[in-house]
Amino acid sequence: MAQALLELVRSNFSDAILSSHAQHGDETLVVKAERWFAVHQFLREDARADIDMLVDLTVVDYPDRLPRFEVVSHLLSLSKGHRLRVKTAVGDEEGDDAVAASLTGIWASANWMEREAYDMFGVKFSGHPDLRRILLYPEFEGHPLRKDYPADKIQPLVPFREVDNIEKLAPFGRDEGMSFGRQTHSWDAQSGDED
Amino acid sequence: MPTFSLDGREIEFQPGDTVIAAAHRSGIDIPHYCWHPGLSVAANCRMCLVEVAPPPGRGAMMLDVLRYDEAKGQYVPAKKPKLQPACQLPVTPGLEIKSQTSEHVKEARASVQEMLLLNHPVDCPICDQAGECRLQDYWLEHNGKQKRMKDEIIHMPKAVDFGPTIVYDAERCIVCTRCVRFCEEVVGDPVLDKRERGNLGEIVLAPGRKLDHAYTLMTEHVCPVGALTAKDFRFKARVWFLRSVPSVCQGCATGCNAYTDFDPRNQTVFRHRPRDNQAVNKYWMCDEGVLDYQRVHKGRLLESKVRSQTVAISEAVKAAADEMRNFGQSSAIVLSAEHSSEDNFAVFELGRALGIDKVYVTGRASGQGDSILRDADKNANRAGAQLVTNGAAVGNAAALKTDIESGAVVQVLALGSQVETAELAQLLTKLSSLVVLCSHEGPLASAARVMLPASTWAEATGTFVNRGGLAQISEKAITPRGDSQPAWKLAMLLADQMGKSLPFKKGKDVKAAVSRFASTSAGAQA
Amino acid sequence: MEPLDVELDETEVELPTEPMLVNVGPAHPAMHGTVRCVMELSGESIRRVDVQVGYLHRGFEKMCERGTWGQVFPYVDRCNYVSPMLNNVGFSLACEKMLGIEVPERCQWYRMALGELARISDHLTCDGAMAMELGAFTPFLWMVKARDMIWDLMEEETGARMTHSFGRVGGMAKPPTDQFKEHASAVVDQVERIVDEVQNLLYGNRIFLDRLDGVGIITQADAISLGWTGPCLRAAGIPYDVRRAHPYLKYAEVEFDIPVGKNSDCLDRFMVRIEEMRESAKIVRQCVERMPDTGPINVDDPRVVLPEKSQVYGTIEATIQHFKIVMEGLKLPAGEVYSYTEGGNGELGFYMVSDGSGTPYRVRIRPPSFLATAGLERVITDQMVADVVPCFGSLNMIGGECDR
Repeated sequence: MAQALLELVRSNFSDAILSSHAQHGDETLVVKAERWFAVHQFLREDARADIDMLVDLTVVDYPDRLPRFEVVSHLLSLSKGHRLRVKTAVGDEEGDDAVAASLTGIWASANWMEREAYDMFGVKFSGHPDLRRILLYPEFEGHPLRKDYPADKIQPLVPFREVDNIEKLAPFGRDEGMSFGRQTHSWDAQSGDED
Repeated sequence: MPTFSLDGREIEFQPGDTVIAAAHRSGIDIPHYCWHPGLSVAANCRMCLVEVAPPPGRGAMMLDVLRYDEAKGQYVPAKKPKLQPACQLPVTPGLEIKSQTSEHVKEARASVQEMLLLNHPVDCPICDQAGECRLQDYWLEHNGKQKRMKDEIIHMPKAVDFGPTIVYDAERCIVCTRCVRFCEEVVGDPVLDKRERGNLGEIVLAPGRKLDHAYTLMTEHVCPVGALTAKDFRFKARVWFLRSVPSVCQGCATGCNAYTDFDPRNQTVFRHRPRDNQAVNKYWMCDEGVLDYQRVHKGRLLESKVRSQTVAISEAVKAAADEMRNFGQSSAIVLSAEHSSEDNFAVFELGRALGIDKVYVTGRASGQGDSILRDADKNANRAGAQLVTNGAAVGNAAALKTDIESGAVVQVLALGSQVETAELAQLLTKLSSLVVLCSHEGPLASAARVMLPASTWAEATGTFVNRGGLAQISEKAITPRGDSQPAWKLAMLLADQMGKSLPFKKGKDVKAAVSRFASTSAGAQA
Repeated sequence: MEPLDVELDETEVELPTEPMLVNVGPAHPAMHGTVRCVMELSGESIRRVDVQVGYLHRGFEKMCERGTWGQVFPYVDRCNYVSPMLNNVGFSLACEKMLGIEVPERCQWYRMALGELARISDHLTCDGAMAMELGAFTPFLWMVKARDMIWDLMEEETGARMTHSFGRVGGMAKPPTDQFKEHASAVVDQVERIVDEVQNLLYGNRIFLDRLDGVGIITQADAISLGWTGPCLRAAGIPYDVRRAHPYLKYAEVEFDIPVGKNSDCLDRFMVRIEEMRESAKIVRQCVERMPDTGPINVDDPRVVLPEKSQVYGTIEATIQHFKIVMEGLKLPAGEVYSYTEGGNGELGFYMVSDGSGTPYRVRIRPPSFLATAGLERVITDQMVADVVPCFGSLNMIGGECDR
């Protein structure tokens, strides 16, 4: 059903499209990163495409490829019933410089989904009104869904924020906390300070 | 190049190829058990049967068979074309072979697989081959159904002790005779043979003999099922937990290509397997080489020592720098034929920065060689250690012995763990100063004033030059054990401590420098 | 308390006029699990709100990459944990789409029946909790009683009340029990009766209606732009239901209506769910009637389905089959697929990338409640603080699905 849609995009953006396929019946387009916003805007505004909903926006990490990250968006037209997947690739082998255009200007659903993509992969979206972590806490170090982030990595403990007039004892003082299981502190028997 | 057609694809072949060999060369796998590119053709497993299109103008040769008719509930006569084993069929130009696209071939493969599993014991949970077993792979891919026989399987001898290294299980054996052909053709020692026929077939030893030649572990390697298992690896690890890296065997100067299999969860190396390389070792390795992986874990020195007292590495580096400050005219660098070219290069450069110009190479003592694979020189990188000096004169163990005796050498910075002769080992204790970067216990470590633990080949990527001058790269498998570090890193630490600078800062630079003189005219190869 | 200052002139006292920052923190009875709303209030009305989710983030998508395809089922179960069967069915359908296989007819009806029962329990929880937070405790208890009947049925069928991990690629873990049809019909009858009672109780209650009617309105354009699907979108007046628009399993062959709201307020979202429960009950009855009593539940493919345990212990072939599927994982062909079903809150999508091995390369769960919660900002801005409770309740944010 979306073959017509593929043709429509191809005829309007022939220079922007790198490849396309229809595996398992899902029509997919791979576009150049600079045309990411333009292609989506076209799909939203053109009456024959009539894509009114951004269903999903996510990233997949291919560390063996360059560019490394593949930003994937799934689109749906409620009126016409057709769906399309649009992909682009950003990012160098270290994972830096991964910037794609933000789609928040077109669909509001892009807001939180791009925040999650940033949180999990470190892919930045230019033009996003509020790009900060959403599922993880702000002091988290690293981007966990990247393939080089080990799943059993232990994050550093976040120190308590300085608050006036509140006496707070840090947890896991010398005599507190678990003596078994996962050690998040290392107590050096010789030194008197905590880690 | 002439081509033939396999499943509609044109495949190139060389004169004298069989269908399966030509397909194997093009990367297409026709399922097989008894064929091996390095052994003669036996054609007894019948798994590689393919359908051959008849010559033009003639019909296919049809056989009368009985096929089960579901509707009638009985066997009815039918016809099927005679299939040919791809391992035995020589390729001629214009040959048309159907392998995956033929229904008859699919039926044949399913039947062969059913028959091979007919009397097979339910051993997967305890069989070492599980995870790399062709019976498992091919059953799932080509059969997928239960066998029709409802009787008890034929019971055969299990856990038969074949020799010091191999255990045989006759119930699991499919009597493909790869092991028999290997011993006879590659080793030249026909100690194994097949006995009996049909479902009583098993492999036996020649009377009064044990499987005791120098390549016994290769019989385990060629065995496609779990019939032959290595005593060394039995029940130690499950293969799906192991990761492999391509490496170079450290047993002798032949430099057979290998895979190092290790468990990344506990950073332990479990075995070596041969890697195909037509130029060096073809498909094989010797027992000594396969078992050489044990040296990664046995006899290792993992902590620095200053005069046999264990200290932290930073302390040891300071102590070594203090020792080496006095090195001068009567000092020497001893390189190691056991270590990679990178390690040797780094130590040599360190020596040059300190103004030392006497260079020697030592290594393990020689052993037995043969005309099949083994070399008498039991060090992997003698050629490489000599090449990194870029033409400077390098003495051998005998020269070092002479020079120590005469007093020309009293201080030594040594890389490596072993020296060739016991006399030289004795002489080491006479030196006034000995700083050693070594990985294993040995004469150098015991005589050392300061000993820094070096990593072995499995803990760092390194280049090794074999007896033919071929430079090969062995990749890192596990992280350096204990306090050990690659010797080139230790050399950098020493240089930093002494305020000298070396012509490299990172591992990449060392590798680049080494590759410049990594090989002789034989040419470099990765 | 300080003593009253009788000499103070009240006209000269300055009343504080800065907006007040209130933290409706993650540990809050009305925050449905764990969501933190930092609100800037001007009097009673909310000027700005920052909705912070992620307190239940367990790293499912990363965990899926460390096991096999079959080991993903417990993870997806714990996404929308009030309707876990719908997640199981969704994921199995995604894997089957990638493999290109279709389960036998009996399994399709079974999956539909169990899925619709899960949907009913999801809506019972949502509406019951919403009513309870407004002070109506009785309907909550009645709905939980109804939900418990469904869970008892699930326990009979799958062995667990919630999070049953019952779905498998190529079928289900076990065939339906002999009493399934009888019990399912009985449960559905009881549940419908309870839903009727609850509706009678609540729909005639002035306080309840005042708190929900006209509160938390969102325009159709906004709802679509926010990516809402499911009951929230249908309450906004758009009749989009994946079961009707892109039918899967046997949804094209059963009769059911799609309730659609008019005013797109909290009351509509509440009532849409009430009506959907009735429609789901209808579907369950049709499935139970049409499900064949005999026949295989699992597709007959040794690459995908585990063999009988008795066979595994006795025959080498079943051992090999078990071994390959468990140790190496069932293998999905390399490629990518996006498969979607109607979850309890809307379009539950699975975007999966496979590298041909038994370990998933990437499993992305497209969570409908994540996007519903993203809309919370728009819904409660300019509403009063007290309206946060029904608004948030009507969105049915399930923490497990939102945060994964």
